[in-house]
Amino acid sequence: PAGDSWGIFTFLCAALCNLPALPALNCSEELGAGQSIQQTYDLTRYLEHQLRTLAGTYLNYLGPPFNEPDFNPPRLARAERVPSATVDLDLWRGLTDNARLAANYRAYSRLLCYLRVLDGQVGTAELRHRLAHFCASLQGLVLSIGGVMSSLGYPLPAGPAGPPAGPPGTAPAPNDFLKKMDDFWLLKELQTWLWRSAKDFNRLKKKVPPAVVTLRLEARGF
Amino acid sequence: DSHVQYERIGADVTMKCGSMDWDAAVTWTANGTDIDESHLNGSYLILKNVDLTQSGQYACYEGSSWHLKYQTYLRVGTPPREPVLMCRSNNYPKGFYCSWHLPTPTYIPNTFNISVIHGTKEMVCEKDAVPKNRCHIRYLQLFSTVKYKVTLTVTNALGKNFTTLTFDEFAIVKPDPPESVVAKPVPNNPRRLEVSWQNPSSWPDPESFPLKFFLRYRPLILDQWQHVELSDGTSHTITDAYAGKEYIIQVAAKDNDIGTWSDWSVAVHATPWTEEPKHLTTEAQITETTSASTSSFMAPPTTKICDKGAVVGSGAVAVCWTAGLVVAAYSVLFI
Repeated sequence: PAGDSWGIFTFLCAALCNLPALPALNCSEELGAGQSIQQTYDLTRYLEHQLRTLAGTYLNYLGPPFNEPDFNPPRLARAERVPSATVDLDLWRGLTDNARLAANYRAYSRLLCYLRVLDGQVGTAELRHRLAHFCASLQGLVLSIGGVMSSLGYPLPAGPAGPPAGPPGTAPAPNDFLKKMDDFWLLKELQTWLWRSAKDFNRLKKKVPPAVVTLRLEARGF
Repeated sequence: DSHVQYERIGADVTMKCGSMDWDAAVTWTANGTDIDESHLNGSYLILKNVDLTQSGQYACYEGSSWHLKYQTYLRVGTPPREPVLMCRSNNYPKGFYCSWHLPTPTYIPNTFNISVIHGTKEMVCEKDAVPKNRCHIRYLQLFSTVKYKVTLTVTNALGKNFTTLTFDEFAIVKPDPPESVVAKPVPNNPRRLEVSWQNPSSWPDPESFPLKFFLRYRPLILDQWQHVELSDGTSHTITDAYAGKEYIIQVAAKDNDIGTWSDWSVAVHATPWTEEPKHLTTEAQITETTSASTSSFMAPPTTKICDKGAVVGSGAVAVCWTAGLVVAAYSVLFI
Protein backbone atom coordinates (compact mmCIF):
# COMPACT_ATOMS: atom_id res chain seq x y z
CA PRO A 1 0.00 0.00 0.00
CA ALA A 2 1.11 3.55 -0.75
CA GLY A 3 1.16 4.62 2.89
CA ASP A 4 3.86 2.07 3.81
CA SER A 5 6.26 3.09 1.01
CA TRP A 6 6.06 6.73 2.05
CA GLY A 7 6.89 5.74 5.58
CA ILE A 8 9.98 3.87 4.43
CA PHE A 9 10.98 6.75 2.20
CA THR A 10 10.90 9.36 4.97
CA PHE A 11 12.68 6.97 7.34
CA LEU A 12 15.51 6.46 4.83
CA CYS A 13 15.72 10.20 4.22
CA ALA A 14 16.07 10.93 7.90
CA ALA A 15 18.51 8.05 8.40
CA LEU A 16 20.80 9.01 5.55
CA CYS A 17 20.87 12.62 6.64
CA ASN A 18 22.29 11.48 9.95
CA LEU A 19 25.13 9.49 8.44
CA PRO A 20 28.40 11.25 9.35
CA ALA A 21 29.97 10.46 5.99
CA LEU A 22 27.28 12.31 4.08
CA PRO A 23 26.54 15.59 5.80
CA ALA A 24 25.81 17.43 2.57
CA LEU A 25 22.91 15.24 1.45
CA ASN A 26 19.70 17.09 0.83
CA CYS A 27 16.84 15.20 2.40
CA SER A 28 14.33 16.23 -0.19
CA GLU A 29 16.36 14.69 -3.01
CA GLU A 30 15.18 11.46 -4.52
CA LEU A 31 17.23 8.60 -3.14
CA GLY A 32 17.13 6.35 -6.17
CA ALA A 33 20.65 5.18 -7.03
CA GLY A 34 19.94 5.88 -10.68
CA GLN A 35 19.35 9.55 -9.91
CA SER A 36 22.55 9.79 -7.84
CA ILE A 37 24.53 8.19 -10.65
CA GLN A 38 23.19 10.79 -13.07
CA GLN A 39 24.14 13.57 -10.66
CA THR A 40 27.62 12.13 -10.16
CA TYR A 41 28.02 11.89 -13.93
CA ASP A 42 26.97 15.54 -14.31
CA LEU A 43 29.44 16.50 -11.58
CA THR A 44 32.35 14.80 -13.40
CA ARG A 45 31.49 16.74 -16.56
CA TYR A 46 31.34 20.00 -14.61
CA LEU A 47 34.69 19.28 -12.96
CA GLU A 48 36.26 18.38 -16.30
CA HIS A 49 35.18 21.74 -17.63
CA GLN A 50 36.51 23.53 -14.53
CA LEU A 51 39.79 21.67 -14.73
CA ARG A 52 40.47 22.91 -18.24
CA THR A 53 40.60 26.50 -17.00
CA LEU A 54 42.45 25.59 -13.81
CA ALA A 55 45.07 23.50 -15.63
CA GLY A 56 45.67 26.25 -18.17
CA THR A 57 46.28 28.80 -15.44
CA TYR A 58 48.41 26.46 -13.37
CA LEU A 59 50.61 25.28 -16.23
CA ASN A 60 51.24 28.89 -17.21
CA TYR A 61 52.26 29.52 -13.61
CA LEU A 62 54.72 26.60 -13.86
CA GLY A 63 56.06 28.11 -17.06
CA PRO A 64 57.71 26.41 -20.05
CA PRO A 65 57.97 23.61 -21.02
CA PHE A 66 54.95 22.61 -18.89
CA ASN A 67 52.60 24.98 -20.62
CA GLU A 68 53.59 23.91 -24.14
CA PRO A 69 50.88 21.89 -25.91
CA ASP A 70 53.39 19.38 -27.34
CA PHE A 71 55.04 18.71 -23.98
CA ASN A 72 55.19 14.93 -23.77
CA PRO A 73 57.63 13.88 -21.03
CA PRO A 74 58.41 10.29 -20.11
CA ARG A 75 56.70 8.99 -17.02
CA LEU A 76 59.14 8.95 -14.10
CA ALA A 77 58.88 6.25 -11.47
CA ARG A 78 58.08 8.74 -8.71
CA ALA A 79 54.94 9.81 -10.61
CA GLU A 80 53.40 6.40 -9.88
CA ARG A 81 52.23 7.73 -6.51
CA VAL A 82 49.36 9.43 -8.28
CA PRO A 83 46.55 6.91 -8.95
CA SER A 84 46.32 6.14 -12.65
CA ALA A 85 43.08 5.86 -14.60
CA THR A 86 44.81 3.69 -17.21
CA VAL A 87 43.40 0.19 -17.25
CA ASP A 88 43.37 -2.88 -19.48
CA LEU A 89 40.32 -2.72 -21.78
CA ASP A 90 38.86 -6.13 -20.93
CA LEU A 91 39.55 -5.63 -17.25
CA TRP A 92 37.70 -2.30 -17.31
CA ARG A 93 34.75 -3.88 -19.07
CA GLY A 94 34.59 -6.69 -16.53
CA LEU A 95 34.68 -4.54 -13.39
CA THR A 96 31.82 -5.14 -10.99
CA ASP A 97 29.75 -2.10 -10.04
CA ASN A 98 31.34 -2.15 -6.60
CA ALA A 99 34.90 -2.30 -7.96
CA ARG A 100 34.14 0.40 -10.51
CA LEU A 101 32.75 2.78 -7.91
CA ALA A 102 35.49 1.96 -5.38
CA ALA A 103 38.23 2.72 -7.92
CA ASN A 104 36.69 6.12 -8.57
CA TYR A 105 36.21 6.82 -4.87
CA ARG A 106 39.79 5.92 -3.97
CA ALA A 107 41.29 7.82 -6.87
CA TYR A 108 39.46 11.08 -6.21
CA SER A 109 40.07 10.89 -2.46
CA ARG A 110 43.80 10.68 -3.07
CA LEU A 111 43.82 13.24 -5.86
CA LEU A 112 41.96 15.59 -3.52
CA CYS A 113 44.67 15.10 -0.91
CA TYR A 114 47.41 15.99 -3.36
CA LEU A 115 45.53 18.99 -4.65
CA ARG A 116 45.12 20.31 -1.12
CA VAL A 117 48.89 20.08 -0.66
CA LEU A 118 49.31 22.06 -3.87
CA ASP A 119 46.87 24.64 -2.60
CA GLY A 120 49.05 25.25 0.43
CA GLN A 121 52.19 25.89 -1.64
CA VAL A 122 50.93 27.89 -4.57
CA GLY A 123 52.14 31.46 -5.11
CA THR A 124 49.45 33.68 -6.57
CA ALA A 125 46.14 34.61 -4.95
CA GLU A 126 44.22 33.89 -8.14
CA LEU A 127 45.57 30.35 -8.28
CA ARG A 128 44.84 29.75 -4.61
CA HIS A 129 41.28 30.90 -5.15
CA ARG A 130 40.79 28.66 -8.21
CA LEU A 131 42.35 25.69 -6.49
CA ALA A 132 40.20 26.16 -3.41
CA HIS A 133 37.07 26.26 -5.55
CA PHE A 134 38.12 23.17 -7.47
CA CYS A 135 38.95 21.28 -4.27
CA ALA A 136 35.49 22.06 -2.92
CA SER A 137 33.86 20.72 -6.09
CA LEU A 138 36.10 17.66 -6.01
CA GLN A 139 35.11 17.05 -2.40
CA GLY A 140 31.50 17.14 -3.57
CA LEU A 141 32.31 14.50 -6.17
CA VAL A 142 33.87 12.19 -3.57
CA LEU A 143 30.79 12.56 -1.39
CA SER A 144 28.52 11.95 -4.34
CA ILE A 145 30.30 8.72 -5.25
CA GLY A 146 30.14 7.71 -1.59
CA GLY A 147 26.41 8.37 -1.68
CA VAL A 148 25.92 6.12 -4.70
CA MET A 149 27.93 3.35 -3.04
CA SER A 150 25.92 3.58 0.14
CA SER A 151 22.60 3.58 -1.63
CA LEU A 152 23.66 0.42 -3.46
CA GLY A 153 24.79 -1.18 -0.22
CA TYR A 154 28.52 -1.19 -0.91
CA PRO A 155 31.02 -0.41 1.87
CA LEU A 156 33.08 2.73 1.42
CA PRO A 157 36.80 2.08 0.83
CA ALA A 158 39.07 3.12 3.70
CA GLY A 159 40.02 6.80 3.45
CA PRO A 160 43.52 7.94 2.41
CA ALA A 161 46.00 7.32 5.22
CA GLY A 162 48.03 10.13 6.77
CA PRO A 163 47.47 13.87 7.06
CA PRO A 164 46.66 16.07 4.08
CA ALA A 165 50.39 16.55 3.59
CA GLY A 166 50.37 13.38 1.53
CA PRO A 167 50.78 9.64 2.11
CA PRO A 168 53.54 8.89 4.65
CA GLY A 169 56.85 7.52 3.47
CA THR A 170 57.02 9.47 0.22
CA ALA A 171 59.94 11.79 -0.21
CA PRO A 172 59.20 15.34 -1.36
CA ALA A 173 60.60 16.32 -4.74
CA PRO A 174 64.38 16.89 -4.47
CA ASN A 175 64.35 19.92 -6.75
CA ASP A 176 62.09 22.54 -8.19
CA PHE A 177 61.87 20.99 -11.68
CA LEU A 178 60.87 17.57 -10.39
CA LYS A 179 58.29 19.20 -8.13
CA LYS A 180 56.81 20.87 -11.20
CA MET A 181 56.82 17.52 -13.02
CA ASP A 182 54.84 16.03 -10.11
CA ASP A 183 52.30 18.84 -10.46
CA PHE A 184 52.12 18.32 -14.22
CA TRP A 185 51.35 14.61 -13.85
CA LEU A 186 48.84 15.26 -11.07
CA LEU A 187 46.81 17.51 -13.34
CA LYS A 188 47.15 15.03 -16.25
CA GLU A 189 45.91 12.13 -14.13
CA LEU A 190 43.05 14.21 -12.79
CA GLN A 191 41.99 15.11 -16.31
CA THR A 192 42.17 11.49 -17.45
CA TRP A 193 40.23 10.31 -14.40
CA LEU A 194 37.43 12.76 -15.16
CA TRP A 195 37.24 11.45 -18.74
CA ARG A 196 37.23 7.90 -17.45
CA SER A 197 34.59 8.58 -14.81
CA ALA A 198 32.18 9.88 -17.45
CA LYS A 199 32.49 6.45 -19.11
CA ASP A 200 32.33 4.59 -15.77
CA PHE A 201 29.13 6.36 -14.81
CA ASN A 202 27.62 5.87 -18.27
CA ARG A 203 28.08 2.15 -17.75
CA LEU A 204 26.62 2.29 -14.25
CA LYS A 205 23.63 4.30 -15.48
CA LYS A 206 22.71 1.51 -17.86
CA LYS A 207 23.15 -1.28 -15.33
CA VAL A 208 21.37 0.23 -12.32
CA PRO A 209 17.61 0.76 -12.76
CA PRO A 210 16.46 4.31 -11.88
CA ALA A 211 14.38 3.56 -8.79
CA VAL A 212 16.49 1.22 -6.68
CA VAL A 213 16.19 1.86 -2.98
CA THR A 214 17.85 -0.63 -0.66
CA LEU A 215 17.33 -1.25 3.01
CA ARG A 216 20.94 -2.07 3.88
CA LEU A 217 21.04 0.45 6.67
CA GLU A 218 21.20 -2.38 9.22
CA ALA A 219 24.96 -2.45 8.56
CA ARG A 220 25.18 1.17 9.69
CA GLY A 221 23.63 0.35 13.04
CA PHE A 222 20.05 1.47 12.42
CA ASP B 1 70.57 -6.77 -69.53
CA SER B 2 67.62 -4.76 -68.25
CA HIS B 3 67.97 -1.94 -65.79
CA VAL B 4 65.84 0.78 -64.22
CA GLN B 5 67.12 4.28 -63.73
CA TYR B 6 65.45 6.99 -61.68
CA GLU B 7 66.15 10.66 -62.32
CA ARG B 8 64.75 13.93 -60.99
CA ILE B 9 62.65 16.21 -63.16
CA GLY B 10 64.94 18.89 -64.58
CA ALA B 11 68.13 16.89 -64.16
CA ASP B 12 70.72 16.32 -66.89
CA VAL B 13 71.11 12.63 -67.67
CA THR B 14 74.07 10.98 -69.35
CA MET B 15 73.64 7.39 -70.50
CA LYS B 16 76.63 5.25 -71.40
CA CYS B 17 76.30 2.46 -73.90
CA GLY B 18 77.39 -0.27 -71.52
CA SER B 19 81.07 -1.06 -71.88
CA MET B 20 81.44 0.54 -75.32
CA ASP B 21 84.18 3.11 -75.80
CA TRP B 22 83.29 6.75 -76.03
CA ASP B 23 84.21 6.92 -79.70
CA ALA B 24 82.30 3.75 -80.73
CA ALA B 25 79.60 4.04 -83.37
CA VAL B 26 76.24 3.39 -81.74
CA THR B 27 72.57 4.04 -82.26
CA TRP B 28 70.28 4.91 -79.37
CA THR B 29 66.56 4.33 -79.41
CA ALA B 30 63.83 5.66 -77.15
CA ASN B 31 60.83 3.30 -77.00
CA GLY B 32 61.98 1.75 -80.26
CA THR B 33 62.38 5.02 -82.14
CA ASP B 34 65.86 6.09 -83.25
CA ILE B 35 67.26 9.11 -81.43
CA ASP B 36 68.84 11.86 -83.51
CA GLU B 37 72.64 12.11 -83.37
CA SER B 38 72.45 15.70 -82.04
CA HIS B 39 71.66 14.23 -78.64
CA LEU B 40 74.83 12.18 -78.63
CA ASN B 41 78.22 13.01 -77.25
CA GLY B 42 80.28 10.27 -78.83
CA SER B 43 78.52 7.10 -77.76
CA TYR B 44 76.93 8.74 -74.72
CA LEU B 45 73.33 9.84 -74.82
CA ILE B 46 72.80 13.27 -73.25
CA LEU B 47 69.35 14.25 -72.07
CA LYS B 48 69.21 17.75 -70.66
CA ASN B 49 66.56 19.02 -68.25
CA VAL B 50 64.52 15.83 -68.38
CA ASP B 51 60.76 15.92 -68.03
CA LEU B 52 58.08 13.29 -67.48
CA THR B 53 57.53 12.72 -71.19
CA GLN B 54 61.08 11.40 -71.47
CA SER B 55 60.38 8.39 -69.27
CA GLY B 56 60.65 5.19 -71.24
CA GLN B 57 62.79 2.41 -72.59
CA TYR B 58 66.21 3.45 -73.87
CA ALA B 59 68.41 1.03 -75.83
CA CYS B 60 71.83 1.26 -77.37
CA TYR B 61 72.86 -0.79 -80.43
CA GLU B 62 76.30 -1.26 -81.90
CA GLY B 63 76.60 0.63 -85.15
CA SER B 64 76.98 -2.00 -87.82
CA SER B 65 75.99 -5.27 -86.17
CA TRP B 66 72.86 -3.94 -84.42
CA HIS B 67 73.74 -5.91 -81.34
CA LEU B 68 71.91 -4.69 -78.28
CA LYS B 69 74.64 -3.40 -76.00
CA TYR B 70 72.70 -1.71 -73.26
CA GLN B 71 69.13 -1.21 -72.21
CA THR B 72 67.56 0.81 -69.43
CA TYR B 73 64.15 1.99 -68.35
CA LEU B 74 64.30 5.66 -67.45
CA ARG B 75 61.77 6.86 -64.90
CA VAL B 76 61.61 10.58 -64.30
CA GLY B 77 60.13 11.73 -61.00
CA THR B 78 60.65 13.72 -57.80
CA PRO B 79 61.74 12.92 -54.27
CA PRO B 80 58.77 12.79 -51.88
CA ARG B 81 57.44 15.90 -50.23
CA GLU B 82 56.34 15.83 -46.58
CA PRO B 83 53.45 13.33 -46.47
CA VAL B 84 50.02 14.14 -45.05
CA LEU B 85 49.10 11.93 -42.08
CA MET B 86 45.80 11.63 -40.28
CA CYS B 87 44.89 9.42 -37.31
CA ARG B 88 41.39 8.92 -36.04
CA SER B 89 39.41 6.72 -33.72
CA ASN B 90 36.00 6.02 -35.28
CA ASN B 91 35.61 2.79 -33.32
CA TYR B 92 36.40 3.88 -29.74
CA PRO B 93 37.32 2.11 -27.51
CA LYS B 94 38.60 -0.58 -29.87
CA GLY B 95 41.48 1.41 -31.33
CA PHE B 96 42.32 3.86 -34.08
CA TYR B 97 43.49 4.02 -37.67
CA CYS B 98 45.95 6.22 -39.50
CA SER B 99 45.81 7.09 -43.15
CA TRP B 100 48.21 9.03 -45.33
CA HIS B 101 48.93 10.36 -48.77
CA LEU B 102 51.44 12.48 -50.61
CA PRO B 103 50.44 16.07 -51.33
CA THR B 104 51.97 15.88 -54.83
CA PRO B 105 52.73 12.80 -56.94
CA THR B 106 56.31 11.62 -57.36
CA TYR B 107 55.62 9.63 -60.54
CA ILE B 108 57.84 6.81 -59.28
CA PRO B 109 57.18 4.03 -56.76
CA ASN B 110 57.16 5.00 -53.05
CA THR B 111 57.32 2.89 -49.91
CA PHE B 112 55.68 3.98 -46.66
CA ASN B 113 56.80 3.00 -43.22
CA ILE B 114 54.75 3.80 -40.14
CA SER B 115 55.83 3.58 -36.51
CA VAL B 116 53.65 4.07 -33.43
CA ILE B 117 55.22 4.72 -30.05
CA HIS B 118 53.22 4.82 -26.84
CA GLY B 119 55.43 5.93 -23.98
CA THR B 120 58.31 3.51 -24.19
CA LYS B 121 56.45 0.82 -26.12
CA GLU B 122 56.51 0.42 -29.87
CA MET B 123 53.15 -0.74 -31.22
CA VAL B 124 52.46 -2.45 -34.51
CA CYS B 125 50.09 -0.70 -36.88
CA GLU B 126 48.54 -3.41 -39.05
CA LYS B 127 48.29 -2.40 -42.67
CA ASP B 128 44.85 -2.57 -44.24
CA ALA B 129 44.41 -4.35 -47.56
CA VAL B 130 41.86 -1.76 -48.64
CA PRO B 131 42.28 1.16 -48.75
CA LYS B 132 45.99 0.84 -49.27
CA ASN B 133 47.47 3.79 -47.41
CA ARG B 134 45.96 2.92 -44.09
CA CYS B 135 46.77 0.91 -40.98
CA HIS B 136 44.97 0.23 -37.72
CA ILE B 137 45.93 -0.31 -34.08
CA ARG B 138 44.07 -1.99 -31.26
CA TYR B 139 44.11 -0.33 -27.86
CA LEU B 140 45.55 -2.56 -25.17
CA GLN B 141 44.86 -0.02 -22.45
CA LEU B 142 42.17 2.57 -22.05
CA PHE B 143 42.29 5.99 -20.43
CA SER B 144 45.99 6.47 -21.00
CA THR B 145 47.75 9.65 -19.86
CA VAL B 146 50.68 9.00 -22.16
CA LYS B 147 50.48 10.36 -25.70
CA TYR B 148 50.79 8.32 -28.88
CA LYS B 149 53.50 9.33 -31.33
CA VAL B 150 53.02 8.24 -34.94
CA THR B 151 55.80 8.73 -37.47
CA LEU B 152 55.30 8.14 -41.18
CA THR B 153 58.35 7.88 -43.43
CA VAL B 154 58.05 7.83 -47.20
CA THR B 155 60.99 6.71 -49.32
CA ASN B 156 61.66 6.45 -53.04
CA ALA B 157 64.72 6.13 -55.25
CA LEU B 158 65.25 9.90 -55.24
CA GLY B 159 64.90 10.70 -51.54
CA LYS B 160 62.87 10.43 -48.37
CA ASN B 161 60.67 12.51 -46.10
CA PHE B 162 58.62 12.06 -42.96
CA THR B 163 55.99 13.56 -40.68
CA THR B 164 54.98 13.00 -37.04
CA LEU B 165 51.71 13.21 -35.15
CA THR B 166 51.49 13.27 -31.36
CA PHE B 167 48.12 12.97 -29.66
CA ASP B 168 46.17 11.89 -26.59
CA GLU B 169 43.83 8.91 -26.77
CA PHE B 170 40.79 11.17 -26.35
CA ALA B 171 41.74 13.82 -28.84
CA ILE B 172 41.35 11.68 -31.98
CA VAL B 173 37.91 10.22 -31.24
CA LYS B 174 35.63 11.08 -34.17
CA PRO B 175 32.78 8.74 -35.10
CA ASP B 176 31.61 8.06 -38.65
CA PRO B 177 28.41 9.94 -39.65
CA PRO B 178 25.04 8.43 -38.69
CA GLU B 179 23.61 5.92 -41.16
CA SER B 180 20.26 5.28 -42.81
CA VAL B 181 18.95 8.79 -42.30
CA VAL B 182 15.26 8.85 -43.25
CA ALA B 183 12.94 11.85 -43.30
CA LYS B 184 9.21 11.42 -43.75
CA PRO B 185 6.24 13.77 -43.78
CA VAL B 186 3.71 13.34 -40.98
CA PRO B 187 0.14 12.81 -42.29
CA ASN B 188 -2.23 15.68 -41.47
CA ASN B 189 0.64 17.80 -40.14
CA PRO B 190 1.76 20.36 -42.70
CA ARG B 191 4.62 21.70 -40.55
CA ARG B 192 6.19 18.45 -39.36
CA LEU B 193 8.86 16.14 -40.61
CA GLU B 194 9.86 12.94 -38.86
CA VAL B 195 13.58 12.21 -39.01
CA SER B 196 15.20 8.95 -37.91
CA TRP B 197 18.70 7.51 -38.23
CA GLN B 198 21.00 4.82 -36.92
CA ASN B 199 24.28 4.78 -35.03
CA PRO B 200 27.24 4.39 -37.41
CA SER B 201 27.97 0.68 -37.76
CA SER B 202 31.67 1.25 -37.06
CA TRP B 203 30.92 2.41 -33.48
CA PRO B 204 31.28 -0.84 -31.55
CA ASP B 205 29.65 -0.16 -28.17
CA PRO B 206 26.95 2.53 -28.15
CA GLU B 207 25.64 1.13 -24.84
CA SER B 208 28.72 1.99 -22.80
CA PHE B 209 29.92 4.77 -25.09
CA PRO B 210 26.72 6.52 -26.09
CA LEU B 211 26.64 9.00 -28.94
CA LYS B 212 24.90 12.33 -29.06
CA PHE B 213 23.61 13.87 -32.27
CA PHE B 214 23.34 17.17 -34.10
CA LEU B 215 20.61 17.65 -36.64
CA ARG B 216 20.56 20.46 -39.20
CA TYR B 217 17.79 21.29 -41.64
CA ARG B 218 16.71 24.05 -44.00
CA PRO B 219 14.29 24.49 -46.88
CA LEU B 220 16.10 24.26 -50.24
CA ILE B 221 15.18 27.83 -51.01
CA LEU B 222 16.99 29.28 -47.96
CA ASP B 223 20.68 29.29 -47.06
CA GLN B 224 20.41 29.39 -43.29
CA TRP B 225 20.41 26.10 -41.37
CA GLN B 226 18.50 25.39 -38.21
CA HIS B 227 20.19 23.21 -35.62
CA VAL B 228 19.05 20.83 -32.93
CA GLU B 229 21.34 18.99 -30.52
CA LEU B 230 20.01 15.69 -29.19
CA SER B 231 21.60 13.96 -26.24
CA ASP B 232 19.94 10.62 -26.84
CA GLY B 233 17.58 8.78 -29.13
CA THR B 234 17.91 8.29 -32.85
CA SER B 235 14.87 10.20 -34.03
CA HIS B 236 13.45 13.68 -33.92
CA THR B 237 10.36 15.44 -35.20
CA ILE B 238 10.82 18.83 -36.79
CA THR B 239 7.76 20.92 -35.90
CA ASP B 240 8.52 24.26 -37.52
CA ALA B 241 8.90 23.35 -41.17
CA TYR B 242 7.50 25.76 -43.75
CA ALA B 243 4.41 24.21 -45.28
CA GLY B 244 4.85 22.73 -48.72
CA LYS B 245 8.59 23.46 -48.98
CA GLU B 246 11.18 20.80 -49.76
CA TYR B 247 13.73 20.39 -46.98
CA ILE B 248 17.29 19.16 -46.86
CA ILE B 249 18.29 17.39 -43.64
CA GLN B 250 21.59 16.09 -42.24
CA VAL B 251 22.75 14.50 -38.98
CA ALA B 252 26.15 14.30 -37.25
CA ALA B 253 27.32 12.23 -34.27
CA LYS B 254 29.78 12.65 -31.41
CA ASP B 255 30.79 10.63 -28.39
CA ASN B 256 28.84 12.02 -25.45
CA ASP B 257 31.95 13.16 -23.58
CA ILE B 258 35.12 13.12 -25.69
CA GLY B 259 36.47 13.84 -29.14
CA THR B 260 34.96 15.76 -32.05
CA TRP B 261 31.84 15.73 -34.22
CA SER B 262 31.59 13.37 -37.16
CA ASP B 263 31.21 14.66 -40.71
CA TRP B 264 27.63 15.36 -41.78
CA SER B 265 25.60 12.37 -42.93
CA VAL B 266 24.36 11.96 -46.48
CA ALA B 267 21.65 14.61 -47.03
CA VAL B 268 18.02 13.54 -47.27
CA HIS B 269 15.22 15.50 -48.82
CA ALA B 270 11.61 15.61 -47.66
CA THR B 271 8.58 17.81 -48.02
CA PRO B 272 5.98 18.14 -45.26
CA TRP B 273 2.51 16.69 -45.84
CA THR B 274 0.17 18.98 -47.75
CA GLU B 275 -3.61 18.66 -47.95
CA GLU B 276 -4.98 17.45 -51.33
CA PRO B 277 -7.41 20.17 -52.71
CA LYS B 278 -10.38 17.65 -52.96
CA HIS B 279 -13.29 20.00 -53.97
CA LEU B 280 -11.39 21.25 -56.99
CA THR B 281 -10.90 17.72 -58.23
CA THR B 282 -14.67 16.83 -58.04
CA GLU B 283 -15.75 19.91 -60.07
CA ALA B 284 -13.19 19.08 -62.69
CA GLN B 285 -14.61 15.58 -63.02
CA ILE B 286 -18.15 16.89 -63.52
CA THR B 287 -17.21 19.43 -66.19
CA GLU B 288 -15.27 16.69 -67.93
CA THR B 289 -18.11 14.17 -68.05
CA THR B 290 -20.76 16.73 -69.10
CA SER B 291 -18.60 18.04 -71.90
CA ALA B 292 -17.96 14.46 -73.04
CA SER B 293 -21.63 13.44 -73.18
CA THR B 294 -23.21 16.53 -74.85
CA SER B 295 -23.41 14.52 -78.03
CA SER B 296 -25.42 11.68 -76.43
CA PHE B 297 -28.15 13.06 -74.23
CA MET B 298 -28.78 10.90 -71.19
CA ALA B 299 -32.51 10.31 -70.62
CA PRO B 300 -33.83 10.35 -67.06
CA PRO B 301 -33.73 6.87 -65.43
CA THR B 302 -37.45 6.17 -65.29
CA THR B 303 -37.87 6.36 -69.06
CA LYS B 304 -34.78 4.24 -69.43
CA ILE B 305 -36.18 1.39 -67.32
CA CYS B 306 -39.20 1.09 -69.58
CA ASP B 307 -36.94 1.34 -72.66
CA LYS B 308 -34.57 -1.40 -71.47
CA GLY B 309 -37.22 -4.04 -71.89
CA ALA B 310 -34.73 -6.56 -73.35
CA VAL B 311 -32.74 -6.90 -70.03
CA VAL B 312 -35.05 -9.45 -68.42
CA GLY B 313 -36.72 -12.29 -70.32
CA SER B 314 -40.25 -11.17 -70.01
CA GLY B 315 -38.62 -7.76 -69.70
CA ALA B 316 -41.05 -5.47 -71.35
CA VAL B 317 -43.92 -6.77 -69.29
CA ALA B 318 -42.02 -6.72 -65.94
CA VAL B 319 -40.53 -3.31 -66.51
CA CYS B 320 -43.71 -1.63 -67.56
CA TRP B 321 -45.34 -3.39 -64.69
CA THR B 322 -43.11 -1.38 -62.36
CA ALA B 323 -44.26 1.80 -64.00
CA GLY B 324 -47.85 0.67 -63.62
CA LEU B 325 -47.25 0.06 -59.90
CA VAL B 326 -46.04 3.58 -59.51
CA VAL B 327 -49.19 4.91 -61.18
CA ALA B 328 -51.30 2.65 -58.98
CA ALA B 329 -49.56 3.89 -55.85
CA TYR B 330 -50.15 7.45 -56.96
CA SER B 331 -53.81 6.85 -57.48
CA VAL B 332 -54.10 5.25 -54.03
CA LEU B 333 -52.74 8.50 -52.58
CA PHE B 334 -55.59 10.45 -54.11
CA ILE B 335 -58.21 8.25 -52.56
